[in-house]
Amino acid sequence: MSLTYLLRRSGLMIYTLVVVSLIVFGITQALPADAAVMMLGENATPDALAAIRQRLGLDQPVWMQYGRWLAGVLHGDFGLSLRTGQPVGAVMIEALSRSLLLAVLSIGLMLLVAVPLGIVAAIRRGRIADLFVSVVSYVGVSFPEFVTATLVVLVMADWLQLLPATGYVPLTEDPLRGIRHLVLPVLTVSVILVAHVSRMVRSELVDVLHTDYIRAARLKGLDERTVLFRHALRNALLPTITIVALDVGYLLGGIIVVEEIFALPGVGRQLIVAIQARDLPAIQAGALIMAATYSVVNFLADLAYAALDKRIQYA
Amino acid sequence: MTAVLDIAGYTLDYALPKGGSFRALENIVLTIARGEVLGLVGESGSGKTSLAWAIMRYLPGNAQEVGGTIRLNGEDLRSKSPAEIAAIRGRRIGMVFQDPSTSLNPTLTLGAQLSEALVRHRSLTLKQAWAEGEAMMAKVGLHRPADMMHRYPHEASGGEKQRVVIATAFSCQPECILFDEPTTALDVITARQILDLFRRLQDETAVASLYISHDLAVVATVADRVAVIHRGRLVETAPVIQVFNRPQADYTKRLIAAVPRPDRRLNDTTADAEAAPLLEVRSLTVRYGQESLVRRLLGVERERVLGNRAVSLSVQPGEILGVVGESGSGKSTLARALTGLNPFDGEILFDGRRIASAGDMDRAYRRDVQLVFQHPDSSLNPRQRIGEILSRPLKLYGNGHEADFPQRVAELLEQVHLPRSFAQRYPHQLSGGEKQRVAIARAFASHPRLVICDEITSSLDVSVQAAVIQLLLDLQRRFGTAYLFITHDLNLVRQIAHRIAVMFRGELVELATVGELAAGPKHAYTTALIDAVPAPVG
Repeated sequence: MSLTYLLRRSGLMIYTLVVVSLIVFGITQALPADAAVMMLGENATPDALAAIRQRLGLDQPVWMQYGRWLAGVLHGDFGLSLRTGQPVGAVMIEALSRSLLLAVLSIGLMLLVAVPLGIVAAIRRGRIADLFVSVVSYVGVSFPEFVTATLVVLVMADWLQLLPATGYVPLTEDPLRGIRHLVLPVLTVSVILVAHVSRMVRSELVDVLHTDYIRAARLKGLDERTVLFRHALRNALLPTITIVALDVGYLLGGIIVVEEIFALPGVGRQLIVAIQARDLPAIQAGALIMAATYSVVNFLADLAYAALDKRIQYA
Repeated sequence: MTAVLDIAGYTLDYALPKGGSFRALENIVLTIARGEVLGLVGESGSGKTSLAWAIMRYLPGNAQEVGGTIRLNGEDLRSKSPAEIAAIRGRRIGMVFQDPSTSLNPTLTLGAQLSEALVRHRSLTLKQAWAEGEAMMAKVGLHRPADMMHRYPHEASGGEKQRVVIATAFSCQPECILFDEPTTALDVITARQILDLFRRLQDETAVASLYISHDLAVVATVADRVAVIHRGRLVETAPVIQVFNRPQADYTKRLIAAVPRPDRRLNDTTADAEAAPLLEVRSLTVRYGQESLVRRLLGVERERVLGNRAVSLSVQPGEILGVVGESGSGKSTLARALTGLNPFDGEILFDGRRIASAGDMDRAYRRDVQLVFQHPDSSLNPRQRIGEILSRPLKLYGNGHEADFPQRVAELLEQVHLPRSFAQRYPHQLSGGEKQRVAIARAFASHPRLVICDEITSSLDVSVQAAVIQLLLDLQRRFGTAYLFITHDLNLVRQIAHRIAVMFRGELVELATVGELAAGPKHAYTTALIDAVPAPVG
């Protein structure tokens, strides 16, 4: 991996983030919500509204407002919540850390299950094991999150009474209870992702096992284990990195339903609250933080890919 | 002399998915002694590769071995367990594959791939194996072997990669090595160097080699004895001189007759050198790659890859101009520029009309200049019947009424010696040679004055190639069509072209008549190219 590639890829990430910040800011400008009215209520006097607009800089041209907002964001200041009056940045980042915890644990569990499943399906292609993996993964991917979540809660929390159905306890407060609360959401999300990734691993590995260089490795007399782990997996798992990075996007935005069902105060829930309250600074902060996380994860995935696949010089 | 490899009465079937079976090999009998090279020659589908897989015990699941023995120094390989076979592969039987760019793992260094065989079979430590691998790399003529060990396949040239594959095959001092078309994927000059390496290692190690190839000329230069295989049967096995000078089997005779020989002209026409040229290319330059927006704004000039550098040539009416060169020499780039597929600088004059860019190539130009591609599989739409494929140019160039199209399509098919009924077929129902005939018929549908043939015979078997070349010459005599015949096969082009243009790294280095070339080329590269081509057989 060359320095040029690193610079180019970083440049691309920064460019993406600038575009995202423009879009986020633009959308909140277009929303039918007036920050001054939101703060002072419907019955505020015109003088009071004008005063607060001046204080917030809302009377300035839009590009000035964008510049001030961006400058603040770069210093970690996302503005004050219109709903609570507290800084929105801290709230959003805390929510994000909970979502990320859920995401990282889910991806970890998913990889532990999906990669071996994909391998088994690929080397037992067309046999019972392959069929079993296919059926399991299709069932997993076909159910909507709320169905999977409900089933998981029904079995684990209601029938077996093993784990709490909802709620969240910070790990720092009580690690054991914290983990008990995380198990079911992690399980739900993993089930959905396992399907996705095991299919990917299977099809990539099947392709790789049919390449000339795998045949060459076998005809060198290498045993099947060496052929599989040293020659085939390395190539088959590369595309999986990209898929997992894309899944992070889904995990940040798409698991609002899961967070809602398990009452997990993640970034998705915070964003819904902000939207319902037309809390513009909170919406901006939430959207931007999610986009930034997504960009960074994909940036890291591309770097990992380039480090593993020596052929990649630049994208 | 005892045989290292001894195959007797070997018969192999493949089970077909719809039931029944297909006989791939029938009663194969062959032996290879220590230090001997047996050339196995056959066309695609003849069973030569199946035989290699049978020896390596690497048969697909639907293979059914009907009978016979395959012995390696007296031991029957067919009775070995999978674990025993794994210990024999790479250790006692090595294999060299056709395409080094696909037979090496892209994510492992060349050194890792070479030394793992030594670790596996000779119980060396990783460090010993690495040192041994480095010594092997030096032995196969790789420069700076220590550096090469750490490179990845994409960081080495095709010739270097094939040397690594050969080093791997020889590294455990096997008793027998199978070479499966080891030079087919390489350029002429590189192929020649690999053949020289093969001969040197063969002499040094006295390994028993099975050299599989479709190319009789190559086999003639490396083999001691030749076995000719046709439809799963060995039709003739004899010393190399005997096979080429006094072939016994009819099939061998046909095969040898089809091999291009530069001294046997197939084309007796002459091109009028005095006439106004049909096509004139003046300092045509093609650059690949686009300037990025940022660079253009900053005014930073990036060095762009040159596809063609100031190429100038002309084609007379009815002339066959051969264009030869290695891969990457710019021959196909020229074809793409002439058909507007690549943007170019410089100018093209067609029949006196000036064409400065692809935008100037109007319907009249496209009617007059047609292109036939290398792979008919990808140039014929698999979802259209042959009749539809051939009707398209008729429609496009407005020749006659739609009601007449079936008749015209039938005529086109007959022109290329295909039955009329093929109009109802789909491309996948045709053989490779038949598909290429359809592609030629399509090019001739608009009565072009120039047809650009881009390696049109290189994916065809030698006997099919001979027939397609004969067809092209018939059409040229009949319609007076000029050809720009692009190929890497110097022997072939010397049989049919009036003049030959030699390309090297994007430049036209020599343009001479066939007679001048035979008398002695002027450019050093042309000399190297001619010297690298195996001497014709027969």
